[in-house]
Amino acid sequence: MSLPQGILVFVVLAPGAVFGVLAFLWLLGWTPGERLVSRITGVTFSACVLGLAALLWKLAFFPGNLSPAPLAAGGSRAVVVTFGNWFAVHDYRFPLVLMVDRLSLPFLAMTVMLSGLIGQFSATYLHRERGFFRFFLLLHLFAFGSLLAFAAGSFDLLAAGWEIVGITSVLLIGFFQHRPAPVENGLRVFAIYRACDIGLLAGIFAMHQWTGTAAFQNGFPMLTGAEVVTVCLLLLLAASGKAAQVPFSGWLPRAMEGPTPSSAIFYGAISIHAGAYLLLRIQPVLAQSALASALVILIGVATAIHGTIAGRASADAKTSLAYASLSQVGVVFVEIGMGWNSIAVAHILGHATVRTMQFLRAPSMLHDYHQMHSAIGGEVSQAGKYLEGLLPEGIQLWLYRWAFDRGHLDTILDSWVVHPLLEVSKAFAKLDRIGLPRRRPRPRDQAILLPGTARQGGD
Amino acid sequence: LMALHVGMEHASLLTNIAILVPWFAALVTAAYRKQARLIGFFAALMAVAACSLLLMAAPSGASLYQALMLLYSCLTLAATLVLPRRDCGPGAIAGIHVMLGSTLLAYSTGNLLILLAAWVLTTIPFFVPRWFQARSWRPRAGLSLSILTLACAIALIAASTHTASIESLKGRSPGGIPVFGLLVAAVVFRKGIFPAHAWVADAAEGGPAVPTALLFNGHFGALLVAKLIVPLFPATSGHLFPLLSYFAIATALYVAIRALTENSPRRLLAFIALSQSASILAGLESRTAEGITGALVHWFVVTVSTVGLFGILRLLEVRFGENLTAAKHFGLVEHAPRLAVSFAVFGLALVGLPGTLSFCSEDLLIHGTLMSHPLGGLLIPIATAMNAVSVFRLFTRLFLVNRRTGFTVMADALPRERWILTAGILFVVLGGLFPNVIVAQHSAEVDMAQQAMHAPVRFVDPWNWKPPYLPPSHAAESRLVPARGEASNE
Repeated sequence: MSLPQGILVFVVLAPGAVFGVLAFLWLLGWTPGERLVSRITGVTFSACVLGLAALLWKLAFFPGNLSPAPLAAGGSRAVVVTFGNWFAVHDYRFPLVLMVDRLSLPFLAMTVMLSGLIGQFSATYLHRERGFFRFFLLLHLFAFGSLLAFAAGSFDLLAAGWEIVGITSVLLIGFFQHRPAPVENGLRVFAIYRACDIGLLAGIFAMHQWTGTAAFQNGFPMLTGAEVVTVCLLLLLAASGKAAQVPFSGWLPRAMEGPTPSSAIFYGAISIHAGAYLLLRIQPVLAQSALASALVILIGVATAIHGTIAGRASADAKTSLAYASLSQVGVVFVEIGMGWNSIAVAHILGHATVRTMQFLRAPSMLHDYHQMHSAIGGEVSQAGKYLEGLLPEGIQLWLYRWAFDRGHLDTILDSWVVHPLLEVSKAFAKLDRIGLPRRRPRPRDQAILLPGTARQGGD
Repeated sequence: LMALHVGMEHASLLTNIAILVPWFAALVTAAYRKQARLIGFFAALMAVAACSLLLMAAPSGASLYQALMLLYSCLTLAATLVLPRRDCGPGAIAGIHVMLGSTLLAYSTGNLLILLAAWVLTTIPFFVPRWFQARSWRPRAGLSLSILTLACAIALIAASTHTASIESLKGRSPGGIPVFGLLVAAVVFRKGIFPAHAWVADAAEGGPAVPTALLFNGHFGALLVAKLIVPLFPATSGHLFPLLSYFAIATALYVAIRALTENSPRRLLAFIALSQSASILAGLESRTAEGITGALVHWFVVTVSTVGLFGILRLLEVRFGENLTAAKHFGLVEHAPRLAVSFAVFGLALVGLPGTLSFCSEDLLIHGTLMSHPLGGLLIPIATAMNAVSVFRLFTRLFLVNRRTGFTVMADALPRERWILTAGILFVVLGGLFPNVIVAQHSAEVDMAQQAMHAPVRFVDPWNWKPPYLPPSHAAESRLVPARGEASNE
């Protein structure tokens, strides 16, 4: 294994190893102190940043002995590490391939830098918080999942990282586990993630079925005609779920229940852009399908409009920022659909950085405002123009209702998917009771899936 | 090397030790009625040691049953340690050791009558009042019907072929379609395949949690498919398994939907376990190497995870009370964080969390079933997604959100429980990191099963089947089912 390959392996595995060791020791009964945890986090991510800097230097100045990058034009190079197969059965293989190329390197750099930054910020922000250790454990797991997804050389491995990011995201939404709302919202987000991830699994299966592989370190699997459209649509479902695009946008404001640092890194920076990364990764086939590209653009436009309108009726800073984030990711989708990949990557990097800063400043925004107010000795003048004021009053009211209910997206999902499914489940329950003596229904037998409907215990 | 040598030389002796020691321990516990946990622990430990030697001595790639024997004896050992004091009476220890010996007998035997005896013996504690019997009548009905159908099938086989050796009956379709149908019915009743699924949840709710989980996780239905139905009826299996596979997939989906509104934690866990077990059956019946391998690996995951989940649930019931429900939050993580984390890991390991063995098994299983049924197979990931939501819902309701009113201090996992749970977590996680160790174990069995089901049939007509009345050696010469290479020459 050459030095660049070693560095890549270290960068991807380091946060995972830290998570594994800390979790195992905790299971055996040892919990490290805050200072130790934050130092370990700082050292880990600093080492990762240095490693990636070395990789960048190698890719930029000494690319001669590296493999040609599969998807990037212009003769650029990639660092590829092949570990063989994770498991193999006859012709089916799960290749363990890590790869860093022009597309994945910015995402890897963004992940380690922002994770390290969030780690340092959280050491102070969550000082003496009961879940301090848990937060840092999950931060390392999340960083590992993201790095795995971005450095994967096959869609199989990408799916593994993708799922880890999802479960970490859900556990951090429910970070304040003593309150019902974060917990129930976490459950809701988990359900949407799992539903959309079916698209990823089915898309990967389709690639295996039609091309015999889902690896892309040697070029994208060769698909033709209807295969292209099918794979693109399945992966678009997964990407839309992860990036909270319409019609799955309802989970994003719910995810703001988590602590601010996790909101910043997940929904301002990395997790929200994972869907865009997936689309950028499949860009060679996406470009072959006009239908899929048009759908990507359509979803992007719808999300951008939805985000900007719903964000205007949001009462709290984090939700406003979440919707602003959503609008930008919608625009990124449009850029990807149009085939403007470099612009999309630059947009993602810039957006992630700025949005993270905004999220981290959000808790002290009021304090900042008051400071500014007293410094200038009066009211701060209103900034910006409210173009919705130009519309007729009736439409304004309608739009306000629409924005206030967040585009009715959750209502639609509940009425069309969740409630019918629960009704079917109840019908099955009745069917199962055939042959048993009748019993009086108790309150606890009420079906519960929707957030906020669970009774708080104690009676 | 010495252990390997001992294992190879004395395989039958080790098998006898693994089976007889638990039975002897059951008798001693029932008679002596003291030190039940200690006696049970040492008996299970001896079974584990004997099964380990057997596994080490087994040929590479063909050690499925030895691995399953080791897994089941390890689970019984863990159950002996994890059982709360109030559940760990002489009756319970005797019962789970009767089940251990009988299950190992079923895994190791090559005789139909002994298989039937083992099948019956594992269920006996569930028919005896105040032993493991559930309140509802449906578990007894389900188990009775499974025994009856299996007994009828074996009686027909014995009557028509005058032999009870599985080896000599391989590929001969003994008894034709009627026997095949009876064997499938036995699988349906024992495994809880739709529409005979309701007894599983009743048994979990009304019976003792850990012994019932051990009963499910003998996976006798899948055993019957792997050990009897596929080898004896390769041609019929090849034709009719797609239909059965749809039934298994339908069961997985049905109980996954059913679990969405279930609020009794035990029933909910039973539904999730049943859904995942049905996936095992769907994989076995997929007739693809990926599906069969995925099913065999998933067998290990489901077994460890569901026993772990039921064990943790029972520990919570003992500490908190038996009024747990998924309809409200209990906030038990404050008191039992390690139990909470173990529950989350086992629960998510059951539904394909990356980094656990089930990620690999689900991946193979879904690929296998999608290859054999492109549309029906899509229901497996949908069912798994619903199971994931259900298990996460149960986790959030039991462990998260603070309770409003007072609650006395509750102990977290005790050291003996903690070590056992950590061992279980290590198994699913290390298995997930190095899955090839387990996947490669079964390559020979998978090849055999797949070849048997795909081999073209020369002169077996299941509907006009006549007993061949051939001695085993003659039958082997005539080769009712030719090998794959031969078929192309004809």
